[in-house]
Amino acid sequence: MKGIRNMTTPEPIAGDLPNMPTTEDAAKARSTERLISTVLRGGVLLSGGVTLVGVMLFFIQQGSQDLGDVTKVPYPHTLGEVFAGVGHGSASAVIMLGLLLLIATPVTRIAVSILAFANERDWRYVAITAVVLVILLVSFLLGKAG
Amino acid sequence: MSSLLGLTLFIFVASVVAGGVGSLLGLGGGVIVVPILTLVLHLPIQYAIGASIISVIATSSGAAATYVRDRLTNLRVGMFLEIATTLGAITGAYIATVVFGNVLYIIFALVLLYSLYPTASRLIRDRMAVGAGARDRHAEVVVASDGLATALNLGSEFYDPAARRTVRYGVRQVPLGFAIMYGAGIASGLLGIGGGVFKVLALDSAMGMPIKASSATSNFMIGATAAASAGIYFLRGDINPVIAGPVALGVLAGSVIGTRLLARLAGGTVRLVFAVVLTLLSLQMILRGFGVRL
Repeated sequence: MKGIRNMTTPEPIAGDLPNMPTTEDAAKARSTERLISTVLRGGVLLSGGVTLVGVMLFFIQQGSQDLGDVTKVPYPHTLGEVFAGVGHGSASAVIMLGLLLLIATPVTRIAVSILAFANERDWRYVAITAVVLVILLVSFLLGKAG
Repeated sequence: MSSLLGLTLFIFVASVVAGGVGSLLGLGGGVIVVPILTLVLHLPIQYAIGASIISVIATSSGAAATYVRDRLTNLRVGMFLEIATTLGAITGAYIATVVFGNVLYIIFALVLLYSLYPTASRLIRDRMAVGAGARDRHAEVVVASDGLATALNLGSEFYDPAARRTVRYGVRQVPLGFAIMYGAGIASGLLGIGGGVFKVLALDSAMGMPIKASSATSNFMIGATAAASAGIYFLRGDINPVIAGPVALGVLAGSVIGTRLLARLAGGTVRLVFAVVLTLLSLQMILRGFGVRL
């Protein structure tokens, strides 16, 4: 992954235009890529910001008392507990909300991709991407059951 | 300052280091942060893995945003093979509940050694072959799409700024790639790592994709793969926010620093030293797996 950012310049995209089927398809594919890129970057920034706020809150709240072993600090295990904890201003719940936003980022990316493939009228990939989304949602249900 | 705050700060700093070293060596942060959390900070391995899988989502999503925008990522290949990696990740997260912790140490160490091998051998080769012409000797062969790949419309193209041309490529051996991707998903879900080395193996070696498109597409898939097992780890209670929060922030910060700054400053020798240190860490993990504590 390293270095590619440095080698890539924004302008050469025009060079491969003649290879694309039609300019309209190309424009749609490009807007799909921009949308996915925005969702990923936005998700990381949002979750990183919330997590950072939670960690700083944790330092402020725990500064006066010592809970000792890090593995003994209580924390929420379910969505309900996380939201309730955030309502009470609990630092560990705010951190957890940030982490859950991070887990939700690829899920959102997949959901958005379904719409983007539908916009390109690529029904086969609408179906394939929907299968991935269902697997992810099932994994969350499995985790709840197990 | 309480010892808990000190530990939290230490976790953060260790994660920055893991993220930085990871990006220097072309590895994810997860494969480095787990040995540090378990061997150096003596945290239980399930918390280390739970924290690591979260950090994996952060770093891969951040990098994927850039690669997708720069059109290096093959979205169709990624989406299709995510069926295999997410199923694998769920399998891995469940295998983690039935294997003993010490077995987990040994499997982790072996995967870390395997991940280090390509980087280490390249670094050593670069040191041996001093002079011109040692790098980029192999011209990449672009394959034509076979039947299934054509049916799935998997071929694509990207602009290679180094070669100053658009590379059009096909894809082959989709079933083999799918099978390797399932294994990559198991490794990710079981060990809390991105498993990029296995994903690139599937895309590059098995399916014949150019290496730049392979690594960009691998990165893209890592986030969705990790999300599948991260949800399970969260609901199981293995994601401890006091550990996972600083780890996610630290590894993300470290990988950004590593990509933007360290990559320019650190030469081959520094990288080789890190590779040796990681090799020693993985050997220590194997010893821990056999009950030997150093």
